[in-house]
Amino acid sequence: MTRTGTTRRRAPLRARLRRDWPLLVMVLPGALLLLVFHYVPTLGNVVAFQDYNPYLGDSALQALVNSPFIGLDNFRALFATPAFWDALWNTLSITAFQLVFFFPLPIALALLLDSVLSRRVRTLVQTIVYLPHFFSWVLVVTFFVQMLGGAGLLAQELRQAGISPPEIMTNPDTFLLLVTAEVVWKDVGWGTIVFLAALSTIDPHLYEAAAADGAGRWRRLWHIALPGLRPVIVLLLILRLGDALSVGFEQFLLQREAVGRQAAEVLDTFVYYHAITTGDYGFGAAAGLFKAAVGLVLILLANKLAHLFGERGVYSRS
Amino acid sequence: MKVDTGATTSRRAFLGLVGISATAGLLGGCGDKAAPGGATQKLDALAGVLPEQGALPAGIPKPDVISTRPVADGYTRFPSALVDAISQQPGAGGKPVTAMTPAWGPAPPSGANNNYLTAINAKLGTPVEFSVQDGNTYAEKLGAILGARDVPDLLCVPGWEVAKLARFSDAVKALFEDLTPFLSGAAVKAYPMLATLPTGAWRNACWNGRLMAVPNPTDNPFPYTLFYRKDLLKGPAPTSIDELYATGKAVTDARKGVWAFDNIFAMVQMFHKAPGSKDGWRRRSDGTPEFKYETPEFRQAAEFMAKLYAEGLVHPDVVASRGADAKQLLQSGKILFKQDGMGMWQPMQAEQQNVTPGFEVAPVPLFAVGGGSPLAWGDDEPISYTFVKKGLGKERVEELLRLVNWCSAPFGTNEYNLREFGVEGKQHTRGPDGPVKTDLGFKEIQNQYFFISGRTPVVQPTPQTPKYVPDMLAYANASVAHLEKDPWDGLKFEMPAKYKAGLVPSDDQINDILRGRRPLADLDAVVKEWRANGGDEARDLLGKALADNGR
Repeated sequence: MTRTGTTRRRAPLRARLRRDWPLLVMVLPGALLLLVFHYVPTLGNVVAFQDYNPYLGDSALQALVNSPFIGLDNFRALFATPAFWDALWNTLSITAFQLVFFFPLPIALALLLDSVLSRRVRTLVQTIVYLPHFFSWVLVVTFFVQMLGGAGLLAQELRQAGISPPEIMTNPDTFLLLVTAEVVWKDVGWGTIVFLAALSTIDPHLYEAAAADGAGRWRRLWHIALPGLRPVIVLLLILRLGDALSVGFEQFLLQREAVGRQAAEVLDTFVYYHAITTGDYGFGAAAGLFKAAVGLVLILLANKLAHLFGERGVYSRS
Repeated sequence: MKVDTGATTSRRAFLGLVGISATAGLLGGCGDKAAPGGATQKLDALAGVLPEQGALPAGIPKPDVISTRPVADGYTRFPSALVDAISQQPGAGGKPVTAMTPAWGPAPPSGANNNYLTAINAKLGTPVEFSVQDGNTYAEKLGAILGARDVPDLLCVPGWEVAKLARFSDAVKALFEDLTPFLSGAAVKAYPMLATLPTGAWRNACWNGRLMAVPNPTDNPFPYTLFYRKDLLKGPAPTSIDELYATGKAVTDARKGVWAFDNIFAMVQMFHKAPGSKDGWRRRSDGTPEFKYETPEFRQAAEFMAKLYAEGLVHPDVVASRGADAKQLLQSGKILFKQDGMGMWQPMQAEQQNVTPGFEVAPVPLFAVGGGSPLAWGDDEPISYTFVKKGLGKERVEELLRLVNWCSAPFGTNEYNLREFGVEGKQHTRGPDGPVKTDLGFKEIQNQYFFISGRTPVVQPTPQTPKYVPDMLAYANASVAHLEKDPWDGLKFEMPAKYKAGLVPSDDQINDILRGRRPLADLDAVVKEWRANGGDEARDLLGKALADNGR
């Protein structure tokens, strides 16, 4: 490599390849997966603008080519469906609620765990709180039904005591609390992993120096631990916003009948019931594309905001 | 061959119908457009494509109980000697056949882990590899594989799922082999077991005027039966809606964890005599069609069901989650009444009487709200259809049909016995009264080969459940007398796409009413919305079909 003045000239391509080939090889499988499972299927979004009939022609590709284009008709139909707006509203309220009542919990738990000195206790607690993440939603919902449902443990205990049990699993008004509780139980432990990793990178000397200067527990938390976590928190927050219109699927599918469409229909179940089960793929793709577009706008906005506050965000222009 | 298409509701619909009314040679290129307005196929006009009727293999004894069709005849004793129906090995040892079938309850072991499959595959000569899917969500799985055009060599499509599948006749044409040249007329003689299936079943296996599938004829026409735990219910089965309610109230004891009911809304509708033809239609006295939502009977049924929910007589697990296993609740006595297909009865009885001494399930005899003769929903459409993947080549299709033919051997043959009960000493033991399934048999045999074939239906005896045949046939033959007259009998409909899509939101809202989240008075608004969302379109199609056929 040669340097001329302050600008650095790039090495020729061959030299860079020779230097970086192990890195490129390592990236290759991931890039291939991304191509096959993300970029190629993205082309399928074309059906959002078609009266798509999967049975035209001799193959799926021919069906795609032969289905007539109908412009924005699918979107018009989508926006004219009241159930769509209900689902959108439900999805957004669940996202907003969980942003406030779920998102901070893994941070708090990670800080707590980080302050536990005994390695054994910490590992044990971590293992236990990670565990529910690996349960499927069917299991989680069944577990909640068996614990809190009308024939569950709590209800039966209350009945034995002569108290009539409250409706927990079937009350549409408190459904938001219920689904958030389920998410917390399932994923709060799993969510700590990134934060624990970030905490472990904070130089312990900082704590020691602060302690020596007389900083108490709270001041160390406020001035050292949280600032250390800030880039990670901002990053995850932005990514979460990009996913604002995805709040899960099975969880709502399973409990939809219990509390009704008004409370439990989210965008993903809407697409499932109004497009997948009825075979109206164009309509479903339109809803999916709408979701993706909103997600993209939210990510861009949040990233911009992060830059304004001096954070790196998900990416930045170099 | 000429197929009368019946209704033409609009110009667009007419374009769709061309594919159906075209004569065989003209089929290609027609009907590429789905029929958004729906379509009618007149089954009588299909005589030209149907297979010739063949006789059962010699040596099969006469049935002991003769039934009223569409209820099958029954045997109370197992034949002393079984006959060999097929002498040649059906498979040519080709590459394994892929197949997809439904099963309810735990999935059976697959591949080499299942001795039953290994034994039958050895007999067949060409192994069949099953993908067994949950029967409760089978339509969803079907929708996905059809839409992706990724179908197995042999695909089971249960009759009751057909109406749920969008653009199904398009899918049939695009994805499955036209079996007319293989099975029509005398050609069926190459597959003598298939030739024994009743003509009515074959008529239903036609789409777009062609023979597209092998039907699996039904042994009883009833979609639902209300079962109850006879051993747990002190006293006789309820004989009126008030008794049903009173019994439910009396047996529900939340503190002991016992509730009366599963979701029994279909049966409640039947007791109230709400219409059920073509999934809920009947003819008004003025000759126009009306849907169940619009009838006073349905309103009363909804009111009754809402009362059951409101008073907490339905098990909370059923109320709280789609994942609740109501069969398990009935088996463990946590509920006492459950609606299900007739197919639930015998296997549950046979299996559970070993677990719970004295266990007995029985059907509640039909009754009518307000007295008079009851109403039974039902039709004689096949249980399921077996489709063959398109484009496998003539020889492979013939091999597949020979496999299906082998699996279709009727009761009284060795082939049937192996298919139904597996190998003696492994999946069953042979007693004086016939084969008794072992635990391994219950685990491994889940109707896999049954669902890729058709057989002459009979109600067969099993040594474990000697009362089943007389009890089942007594119930079925008593109920069949009240079978609803279908004004559109012999006509096959592809309902308008808008109507199919509109049923989901309507069902949601009716569910809200049943669960007490909306008042009963909202039913009027639901009906209004349903009419605008394709309900009236479906009415036009059905009304036109009546007029065109002079009914």
